[in-house]
Amino acid sequence: MATATAVLAMLVVIPSSGQTQATKATKAGGVHPDLGGIWEYLGTANWDLQDHPAEPGPMWQMGAIGAVPAGQSVVEGGDIPYLPAAAAKKKQNFENRRTLDPEAKCYLPGIPRANYMPYPFQIVQSPRGILFVYEYATANRMVNMGKPQEAGSDTWMGTNNGHWEGDTLVVDVTGLNGLAWFDRAGDFASSKLHVVERFTRMDPYHLNYEATIEDPSVFSRPWKISLPLYKRVEKNAQLLEFKCVEFAEELLYGQFKKQPSK
Amino acid sequence: MRRFLALVLIAVPLAAQTAKPAARTSKGYTAPKTPWGDPDLQGQWPATANIPMQRPANLGNRATLTDEELKQRETQAAQQAEGDSEEFVSSNDTVNINPPGYWVEHGKPHPQASLVVDPPNGRIPPLTPAGQAYAKSLRNGLGPGSHFPEKVDSWEDFDFYSRCITRGLVSSMLPTLYDFGNEIVQAPGYVVIRNEMIHETRVIPLDGRPAWGKGLQTYMGDSRGHWEGDTLVVETTNLNNKTGTGGGYFSDAAVLTEKFRRIAKDELTYDLTVNDPKTWTAPFTIHMPYKEDPSYKIYEYACHEGNYMMIDALTGARELEKEGVQVKVDNNNFVRKVDGAKK
Amino acid sequence: MKKALFAVTICTGLLLAVSAPAWAHHAFQAEFDQRKPIKLEGKVTDMEWINPHAWIHIDVKNPDGTVTNWMVECGSPNIMLRRGFTKRSLETGTDIVVQGYQAKNGSLRANGSSVTFADGKKLFVGGSNPDLPENNEKKQ
Repeated sequence: MATATAVLAMLVVIPSSGQTQATKATKAGGVHPDLGGIWEYLGTANWDLQDHPAEPGPMWQMGAIGAVPAGQSVVEGGDIPYLPAAAAKKKQNFENRRTLDPEAKCYLPGIPRANYMPYPFQIVQSPRGILFVYEYATANRMVNMGKPQEAGSDTWMGTNNGHWEGDTLVVDVTGLNGLAWFDRAGDFASSKLHVVERFTRMDPYHLNYEATIEDPSVFSRPWKISLPLYKRVEKNAQLLEFKCVEFAEELLYGQFKKQPSK
Repeated sequence: MRRFLALVLIAVPLAAQTAKPAARTSKGYTAPKTPWGDPDLQGQWPATANIPMQRPANLGNRATLTDEELKQRETQAAQQAEGDSEEFVSSNDTVNINPPGYWVEHGKPHPQASLVVDPPNGRIPPLTPAGQAYAKSLRNGLGPGSHFPEKVDSWEDFDFYSRCITRGLVSSMLPTLYDFGNEIVQAPGYVVIRNEMIHETRVIPLDGRPAWGKGLQTYMGDSRGHWEGDTLVVETTNLNNKTGTGGGYFSDAAVLTEKFRRIAKDELTYDLTVNDPKTWTAPFTIHMPYKEDPSYKIYEYACHEGNYMMIDALTGARELEKEGVQVKVDNNNFVRKVDGAKK
Repeated sequence: MKKALFAVTICTGLLLAVSAPAWAHHAFQAEFDQRKPIKLEGKVTDMEWINPHAWIHIDVKNPDGTVTNWMVECGSPNIMLRRGFTKRSLETGTDIVVQGYQAKNGSLRANGSSVTFADGKKLFVGGSNPDLPENNEKKQ
């Protein structure tokens, strides 16, 4: 117990880069770890949550640039437990992933995918709630830390209700619209998707991220992913902008453009 | 460049004097502080104030409406609201090409005559020759894309807002007819401004770090904040030339300066000065009086994801071309009588 | 100084005209065809509560007895939520009447400038209109 307190004291004292003093988002006298800062995942989960070998990219003209790196599964137990009909749909998604992947269209990434895309995101721990701001497409979500609120309707980034369990931030995500994918390999769910996330600070520079995924219309049982998030420690670390709509317009609308007359 | 900066510094206090008296705090009001000691600007500040961007020329240098003029606008607004609340279709109702008119909010009329408060005539200064030339040069000389494009050949004929890319920093802070939420969120070392429409989220560092180098520009620019007493001063540079305001587009010289201060429990005073000598012949300042609405909830505005308009407009234009019709989108308010009126 | 540049300016501000408002997000004239007025009567099958605008799906019985499913474009969800309506407020099977204009590309999409129940009662009015003076007084 004494060790835990000492660790907590260390967490509180060590200042995060770019901030004047370590913060405690106090709530009713309690003290919670500071999750604030700019974080990013370094693995290949956004390519494929499961084990995958290196693979060529979509355009041979780019050679090795844009090719897929190898990666180990972040799914506990290794495989995603699809129901038979859903497994067939996943296969179809994978075969058409270059055009079907919502990321290719610059659509909002949904949860959990936003947290392990190859772009940084910032956690802003404020008295109004915990705001997640993602560099990719300026996606963002406010995690409500008060009385849980029901989803008004389905959105890309969901309705997020959070609470602390000891030093872990638990976020319960509902109201997801089922249109986002989990990765570039076609892993998907429906609008019945329910995600429970757990963010735990392991040390000043690493968060442990876990997400339990539940969707009885797609999966035979709940399953879990687990991965570390790394702090961006550059003195000038800052979210830049990746407003990608302009990069996706030719893909989305190119066939409807007026063709030059012959 | 230095001389011009000096001019700007002199100009700003003048702007403060021509601003409404409401910009000063109410007697005895002390702005609250966050737990870590920064002035607390947090809250939901929906931009519903019913103030036009530029002042009608006949008001000249008068910054506020007379009581009569305000009453006129209030009567108009009340009539509009009454009409919007009518539960049953009436014989006065018409059908037009927009969704039902009651699905916008016009906001409360306000004595401020225009959002632009400096120059004193309440109008955006003229563009420089370079500013004009740049706008004209877009789309190979056809000018900027628009809400109402003269042709629908490609998505580039539409403006950036219709393409669901951005409204730009200036428009994102100003009133619109729906989804006008603005939330200020604070944490040590940061102020975050969330604009509901197209989910803009500016995370503003307060630690005095330098702005980005010249090689990096974005749609919303690079914002840096610091406190001057209870006022948050935000300077934004590194804006790309795809957004602007009033027909002008920001150049690499653009510096936007915003000032935020809570002057009463539920009032936030906001001033935005645009200083871009390459694009406009003078700097100009916009003043927006925000009122807090704690009941307001920002709702995810996933614009691009649901942009049926773009596909329908393009495919529609291609279909009509087959019939020999050249499509242009004009701002017609043609109407017809509605069927089924009860009275 | 070119007049055209100031015309663009007006769009960024707020129109005070009492007539049809300037829809901020996009011009519906780009999407729908003024030459194709429609009046649809049918039963609600679904409501897509999405941004930038919501869509109501209705099954319309054609004169020949077949049924066609139309999509009707409406306003933004947050405005409806502010008036006290949620996605559960419109039940499937409800009879509604839509008057508007069909999409330019001939698809089964229309805008819904007038959307009412069979008895002429407007959909999604009621609730509290934030623009009414009495509803604004609380915010003084």
